[in-house]
This record gives sequence, structure tokens and C-alpha cells, in this order.
Amino acid sequence: MYQQIAMYATVFFVFLLGLAFAFVYGESKRSGEYSTIQEKGYKIRKFYFLGLIAIMAFATVMTLGRLPYDSNQAEAEGLNETKAVKVTGVQYAWEMSEETFKAGDKVQFDVTASDVTHGFGLYNENMELVAQTQAMPGYTNTVYYTFKEPGTYQILCLEYCSAGHHVMVKEIVVEPEGGASDE
Amino acid sequence: MNEAIHPLAKKTVVWHLAVTSLVLILMMIFGVIMLMNQGEMISITPQWFYKIMTAHGTGMVGIAALGGTAILWYFLSKYIKLNPAILIVNFVLFLTGVTMVLIAIFVFDFSDGWTFLYPLPAQSAKMYGAAGAVFFLSGMLVLGIGFLILYMYLAARLTAVYGGLGKALGWDIIFRGKKGYGPPAAVVATAMVIITNSTALLAGATVLAASLVNIINPAVTMDPLLAKHLTYAFGHIFANCTIYMAVIAVYEVLSEYTKRPWKANKVFLIAWNCSTLFTLMIYTHHLLMDFAVPKWMLIIGQVFSYANGLPVMVVTAYGALMIVYRSRMKWDFASSLFFLSMFGWVAGAIPAIIDATIVVNHVMHNTKWVPGHFHTYMGMGVVAMIIGFMYYFNKTEGNQQHRGIDTFTIALYFSFFTGFVGSFLYAGGISAPRRWAEHLPQWVLSDQVGAISGIFIVVAAIIFSARFFSGLRSVGTNVHYQKKSAAG
Repeated sequence: MYQQIAMYATVFFVFLLGLAFAFVYGESKRSGEYSTIQEKGYKIRKFYFLGLIAIMAFATVMTLGRLPYDSNQAEAEGLNETKAVKVTGVQYAWEMSEETFKAGDKVQFDVTASDVTHGFGLYNENMELVAQTQAMPGYTNTVYYTFKEPGTYQILCLEYCSAGHHVMVKEIVVEPEGGASDE
Repeated sequence: MNEAIHPLAKKTVVWHLAVTSLVLILMMIFGVIMLMNQGEMISITPQWFYKIMTAHGTGMVGIAALGGTAILWYFLSKYIKLNPAILIVNFVLFLTGVTMVLIAIFVFDFSDGWTFLYPLPAQSAKMYGAAGAVFFLSGMLVLGIGFLILYMYLAARLTAVYGGLGKALGWDIIFRGKKGYGPPAAVVATAMVIITNSTALLAGATVLAASLVNIINPAVTMDPLLAKHLTYAFGHIFANCTIYMAVIAVYEVLSEYTKRPWKANKVFLIAWNCSTLFTLMIYTHHLLMDFAVPKWMLIIGQVFSYANGLPVMVVTAYGALMIVYRSRMKWDFASSLFFLSMFGWVAGAIPAIIDATIVVNHVMHNTKWVPGHFHTYMGMGVVAMIIGFMYYFNKTEGNQQHRGIDTFTIALYFSFFTGFVGSFLYAGGISAPRRWAEHLPQWVLSDQVGAISGIFIVVAAIIFSARFFSGLRSVGTNVHYQKKSAAG
């Protein structure tokens, strides 16, 4: 969802920006008194500034309540208990204390690394990135994810960790709720 | 104040620009090779991919800094007498550092990226031998020392002429109610770059020295999270500052072309002070996925990354639009590129600001969205400013004329750059990771679009460079600054 919002928002704002530059380019062929232009320009700038502040404030308020490391949301929703899974990144593999899950499982991934820094990127069956944190030696970063859909998920390394970075992929299977026999 | 650039400094500026244009083409070719490999159009080994990636990332930021320095020195010389020896020292140390970095990569197989995240260099040193890591880290250190010497000298000059960096940033106007305008934009920008880049370089020197010590004596260790902070405080600020140096050309040249002064009024000075503060703080948006970082620091990373867009959007780019509006200015190579570069800067800031939103970053960090935004900002912003300055320099110091081929090349460069960065942003939108030697089938199409766009960008860069070198023939080495106006 956020990927789509990011793409559409970028296209929209860059388009508006392009229009502004094209308009000024078109107007550059005419002449005008600069002091008058400045006077009007500064007035418009006030509204433009306040508009940008409003957009940024709105985005801040809307998004800061959904921080990915806040467990509160994960704990408040759903019926199942949170399952803690220890994940360790190593050149070039992911070691996990548990590898099979069921749809509906709320999982707390405690992510670390045993050698260098790696990036824990959880991808769903459509290869969309759904959750992420860094795997850093000496630290444990906790990320929560609820598996809503069954399927084959993958963990990709998203922080450059030397020549085998791109082969550092692990498949995990999420069975349908109630077990694989449901299929 | 109306100083003349020292003839030796002018020659050194030519050397800066010549090296910048050649390295730029080479680094662009490296970029195309990587995209062609990801797009399955050619096949190179992962080891070679990561070596090229390391050279590309380090080299691009390096040459942007070199080109930016040439711009800064050239225009600052209008207002302050500067000793060319310092520029030469910077240039020699830059070349020494770059040579060491290239030896590290292509002779000793160093491929840990410009990010060289601790303890990766030590780990690689164990596997591939210490020479590569030691050469790379030492080369970066030498390069950084060159820039630090330059900034210390410039700080001393600004202090001597303007009474300190605070006054150069207009603090007496902002805080003490002094009336009138602040120092020229070139001085304000230089003061900002001195403060931010010196901080960046000190952070970089700390992590580079600690990594070197760790390789030599593994008993001496460092906290990986602290090391990452220092690495990004160094890398992000340093890359950011390239545009704050290069934008001096936009202020000077658009003002000259439109015959309208671009004075440092109070709002302008506040904006540059905000940029100084925010540029120092917002590197933390690179650590939004390091949940071990205190939450308040991550929230600052989001909020101030948003805020850092405001000075450029509301003051610098808006100022460029205002100054050009109904100015009847002459559109040639330089003015076109400077105008477009302001578009590129803001267009690159938009996806960057969106990505600095923690919930977005959570599913887009380290995808190709990130290089998508900074290629927009670097390629259509910083590099466009540097290329625009190359033409301006040749026209002002020599007799280069705008030709039809220039209009064609600008159109070629910007059209294909739009396709190029579009392919990156799209790839990020479909979750393609960055810094991967090989891609899954669903990501390959965007790589191919990027590679083909990249080939045309290289063609444009070659034409730009050929025009620059041919124009240099007419540049007199003993001509004083601003022999004539390029706008005329």
C-alpha cells in the first residue's frame, strides 16, 4: 500500500513542479518590473509555505502513530498470541529458530547478525516487501508481522554485506489457518 | 568587493572540471554496466559487479564534490582573495586518494561499497587480504584530509573578511536586527558548507581511522551502530554538500543573465541557516530501520528530513522561478541547465521526503527507490549545475558559443534521465532491492529501461565533455575574472 502511495504522490508532486517550471519558462520571454514581481511573489510564497507545512504536518500526524517497531498495535489486534522467532544473519544465510508459520500468526522477529550488518527484508508471495529491519551484530532489532495470507514468503538481505549479498535469501512457508490439510 | 581569480587558481579550476567530466563519463559507463547485468543484457561476475558498484558510488560523490569545489572557488574568488596553493593541495590530495581507492578496488579486489559498514572491511580483509581494505580506507582518509584543509582555510578567510562564520551566515541580520542584506550568496553557501562538511569529514575520519585500527589490531573494536552513525553522518552530509557548493553557480549566473540581483535578505539567510542545521541532523533517516536507535532520534529523522526540503522548495528554487519570471533572459546552455537543475533538485527531494516517512521507509528502505531519488538529485541537479558551469566558464573566459547541438544534448540528457530515474523509482515501488548483482525476472524489465536510458545519458555526457574540451582552447590563462558577461 505504502509503495503505491509513494509512487502516485511522487508522480503528482513532480507533475505540479514541472507545470510550475514550464509556466515560468513560458513567461520568461515576456518582460516585467522585478520589484512588482517580487512583491507578488513574496505574497504567493507565504501561502505556498503554509501549504507545504500543512501537508507535512498532516503526513507526520497520520504516520507517526503507526511506527513499525511499536508492538502495541500488534498486541492490541488479533486473537492469537505473538510468536517470538530469533533470526540471525550471517554471510550469506538466515538462521531462524522457527521456519514454518500459519496464516493468522503474529510473529515477533528478533533480528541480529553474527558477523557483519545485514538487512532483514520480508517479502510476501507476490514479492512485495512487507516488513524490514536491520540485522546488526551486537544488537537485536524487533520487527512484528502478522501473516494474513498463506504462501511462500522470502527473506532477502537488504543491506550490502559483500560478494554473496544477493544469494542471501531464505524461503519460509506460511500454511493456511488450521494446517496444510485445509487446501 | 570585486576581486580577480588568481590565474593559477583558474588553471586549477580547469583541471578540476576536466577530471570531473572524464570521471563522470567513466562512472556513468560503470552504472550502465551494472544495470545491463541486472537486466540480463550482459553477464559479469558478482565480484566484478560489486567492485564496479564500489567505484561508481565512491567516484560519483567524489567528482560531484570536485566539480562543486571548482564552482565554489571560482565564484568566491569574486569576493575574497584566495590563495591558489590551497586549491592545488586539495586537488593533489584528491587525486592521491582516488588513486588509492582505485588500487584498492581494481588491484586488491576491495568491494565493500562506499558505505564500508563496520565490521565489513575487517571481515573482508580476513577473506581477501588486508591490502584492499587498508588502501580504500586510507585513500578515503587522504581525500577527506584534502577537503578538510580546504574548509579550514576558507573558514579562516571568511573570518578575516566577514568577522566569522556566524556573520557570513547573516546572524547579525537574523538575531541582532541589523538592517540591509547579508554577504553574497557565494559567501553564505561557503559558510554553510564549511560547517556541515567539516563535521561530516571529522565523523568520516573517526570511523575510517577506527576501521583501519580494527583491521591492523582486531582487539580494538567499535560499536557497529555508532560506526554506522559516523559513516552516514559522513556520507550523507558530504553527498548533500555537493549541491550546496554547486548551487552557488545558479545564484551567480541566473542573477547575471536576468540582470536581477539575488540578494541575501533575511528570509534567504534564515533558509540557509536552517539548511545548515537540518543537513547535519537528517542523516538519521538512513537509520530508520535500525530499531535500536532511540525512537526520538528516528522521529527527528522523519520530521527534519521533511523540514530540510523547505529551504530549497520555498526559497532557493522559488527564488530561481521568481528571478526568471518575465525577465526576457537569454536561454543558452548555461541558463537552461541551471534552470533545469533547480527542477532536478526539487524533483529529487520529493521521493526523498516521502521515503523519510518511517512507515514508507519500512517497505522501501534499501530498495531501488533510494538510488531513484538521489540519482534525480545528483544527475539532474548537481551534475547539471556542474555541466552548466563548464559551459559558462568557457563562455566567460573564452568564446564558446551556444549551438544547435547543445540544445539537442540538453534535451537528450534530461529526457533520458527522466526515463532512467523513473525506472529506478518504479523498481523501488515493486520492491526491487538495491545493491544486488543479480535480479529476479520481475525486476529485469525496469533494469533494461534504466540501462537503455543510461546509454543515451552517456552519449549526452560525451557530447557535453567534447564541447567543454573544444571550448577550452579559447580560454586565455591570463585573463582576469569576468572579462565579459556570459549573459550578453
